[in-house]
Amino acid sequence: MGTGSIVETGALVKDFGRVRALDSLRLSVAEGEVHGFLGPNGAGKSTTLRVLLGHIRATSGTVRVFGLDPWAHAVRTHRDIAYVPGDVNLWPNLSGGEVIDLLTGLRGGADEHLRRQLIDEFEFDPRRKARTYSRGNRQKAALIAAFARPARLYVLDEPSGGLDPVMDTVFRRQIRRVRAEGATVLLSSHILGEVEQLCDRVTIIRKGTVVESGSLADLRHLRRTHVRATGLREPRAITSRPEVHDLRVEGTTVEFDAEATDLNGVLASLAEAGIDGLEVAPPSLESLFLRHYSRLDGQAR
Amino acid sequence: MGAMLRLAVAQARRDRWQLCIWVLGISVLGLAAAAAVGSEFGGEAERAGIIAVAAANPAFLFLRGLPDGTGIGAVVFFQGYAFMAVLAGLMNTFLVIRHTRSEEELGRAELLGSSPIARSAPLAATLLLGAAANVLLSVFAAAGFAAGGLPVAGSAIAGLAVGAVGFFFVAAAAVLAQFLPSGRGANGAAAALVGLAYLLRGIGDALGTAEASLMRVTSAWPSLLSPIGWGQRSRPFTVADPLPLLVPAVAAAVLAVLALRIRQRRDLGASLLPDRAGRARSSEAGRSMVGLAWRLQRATLAGWALGGAALGTVAGVLGPVVADTVAGNPSLAELIARLVPGSRADVVDVFAAALLGMAGVLGAAAGVQAMLRMRAEEAEARAELLLAAPKTRARWLAANLAVAAFSVTSVSAAAGSAASVALEASGTTTGNGGTIILAALAHVPAALVFTAVAALTFAVVPRLTVPLGWGLLAAGLVLGQFGELLRLPAWLQNLSPFRHSPALPVEDLDITAITAALLLTGAAAVLAAVATGLLNRRDLTN
Repeated sequence: MGTGSIVETGALVKDFGRVRALDSLRLSVAEGEVHGFLGPNGAGKSTTLRVLLGHIRATSGTVRVFGLDPWAHAVRTHRDIAYVPGDVNLWPNLSGGEVIDLLTGLRGGADEHLRRQLIDEFEFDPRRKARTYSRGNRQKAALIAAFARPARLYVLDEPSGGLDPVMDTVFRRQIRRVRAEGATVLLSSHILGEVEQLCDRVTIIRKGTVVESGSLADLRHLRRTHVRATGLREPRAITSRPEVHDLRVEGTTVEFDAEATDLNGVLASLAEAGIDGLEVAPPSLESLFLRHYSRLDGQAR
Repeated sequence: MGAMLRLAVAQARRDRWQLCIWVLGISVLGLAAAAAVGSEFGGEAERAGIIAVAAANPAFLFLRGLPDGTGIGAVVFFQGYAFMAVLAGLMNTFLVIRHTRSEEELGRAELLGSSPIARSAPLAATLLLGAAANVLLSVFAAAGFAAGGLPVAGSAIAGLAVGAVGFFFVAAAAVLAQFLPSGRGANGAAAALVGLAYLLRGIGDALGTAEASLMRVTSAWPSLLSPIGWGQRSRPFTVADPLPLLVPAVAAAVLAVLALRIRQRRDLGASLLPDRAGRARSSEAGRSMVGLAWRLQRATLAGWALGGAALGTVAGVLGPVVADTVAGNPSLAELIARLVPGSRADVVDVFAAALLGMAGVLGAAAGVQAMLRMRAEEAEARAELLLAAPKTRARWLAANLAVAAFSVTSVSAAAGSAASVALEASGTTTGNGGTIILAALAHVPAALVFTAVAALTFAVVPRLTVPLGWGLLAAGLVLGQFGELLRLPAWLQNLSPFRHSPALPVEDLDITAITAALLLTGAAAVLAAVATGLLNRRDLTN
């Protein structure tokens, strides 16, 4: 496993007419890592991935994939890339199997063993016409085509959007497999939980600009755990503590967020207050954005 | 009922610009024809001249319709009606499929279907919208004729004759939408039905009987099978009888009820002709750019080639028959002898040349459609998936150009071969089979120019590919068919590539014709090369 950069953008700008979709975006993906690319809808994730594929040209800034400019060297970079778009559209009159053969064939042909195994694991019916596939099935076809032939870089745009939990497990197993084989994965998502389970490092963007980048541990400061406790005999014991954020009290039920470093004290106070039910959840990206970045907006203004 | 009206209004909102362009375009065609005949053929004698020539020429009857005396209105109706009716048919079939089968295929119908409305309400709304659109079309077409100086009463009936055909195709397309599983397939089948209506009318008219005066022709029975044929029978500017228009109107009502009943009984997304299961593996050829382009085009191409073969067969089978009819009519024979002194261009040849020219237009349409598919691939985000493979955009374009060029050639070849076989079978000795096939292929270079222009449009202004692709082809067709009649300046007429194809076997394959063919082919090649270069410079755009 090397340590060079597979993907590197510097001050990447992309304008669509007067709209600035990407604004001096810096993204760096190291070889061999699974990199989460996070942001709310419309943040510019898909636009960035399209620039990396050379489908659209950067207005300014530098873009390197395998050290090459993907706009000028689309074919050379594509040789080692497997791509799954966010919104998979297939040829309605081709069967799923034909679509997989076409997409892998253009890249040089599938690994037959892998292809069979993937179709099996994803429980995919390759004989049906693509027109009759649901969103999840179209997604499966694109994922099978992407994983059925080894690549150096997997570019996956919100790949598990249409998958059910069982298929999502199959998908994660594939990500772990290609990572173990030394491949690099760039995975866009708007679901923090998905990224947490799979990724070594993450980049978070918002309105076309990077707001955070680093390993998950680096981002620990962003993470507040959401706590909901019911049946409190003595709510005062918890509501008066300064570590408790965004507190809501409804009778004997309290809901609040707490920093990971404060969890010990907070849980001790809960025990003291006496509870009959407890739910603890990781923060969602949405709440993180609501809390963290709307505050940044406020400071900027 | 209220819900259905709301749906119809919503559909109308979505279509408002598109329908305006169709309705105005068709009406302006009528206005222009009326104005041109009024000013260029002001005198009775001049009109009698062109009507006689037309009556003596089955090719003319096939393409245009039935001469009905020498009144200005009658001449306009004869020249323009069949084309206006075909356009009305296409306007309405596209309208209906867009709101029915395509909506189901794209899943939007499911969203609507979950609201508290009858299963058939969206279809009923579309039928209502279609009816309203044809009322509008009738009014505007009538206004166009009247504004061109024709009598108001006759104009009104002529407008109704256009609208009645339009309404027939609303209902016919609604039935086809129940049968076919995809919007594309349903559109193709519905357009083929419009073509069939034109063809049946053409056969009936070409086989029609001319009066001794040569001022009027009565069509033969095949025209009774066509709504356009019934529209003609209203003869708006002579007997002005609206009763024949009831035939397509009643047929439309029956078909509309049938479509509604089928829709009420079937599952959402299901079709009476179901999708077959596909193959689990693709063939070796299906794993390449060319293979994909071919796969996407082949069913459509079969349709176009069948159309070409039908025209060729009509040319070959009907040519000798109409020649006999002409020979049996002394005044016709005399007129033709006067018009064509050398008699080299006999009736069979003129007929074949006209129909093979039409097949050339079909070939161009097949080629243009193959190029327009690239835009659909891009807009529907499949190109994004495809071009993530290590293949250049140039290769993608080249694969599609190759399939398009093959389509153009095979439609013409199908027409030429069918004509040649049919002539051979009927024992006609004019020209050998090779000449007829060459006559069909003579239109290939011009058709290739349209294909290459579509490719260039796609490379430079992708969002305008579809309107420009079809629009330019329609402009070429109108310039070719109506340029003389409208007395358009020569330079404008010469802009159409079709003007530069030799009309074999009537004209000779001389050095000018060969040079023109080479120049057209060269122009197509240059345009295609420029398109290939420019496609690399733009973003993929949805």
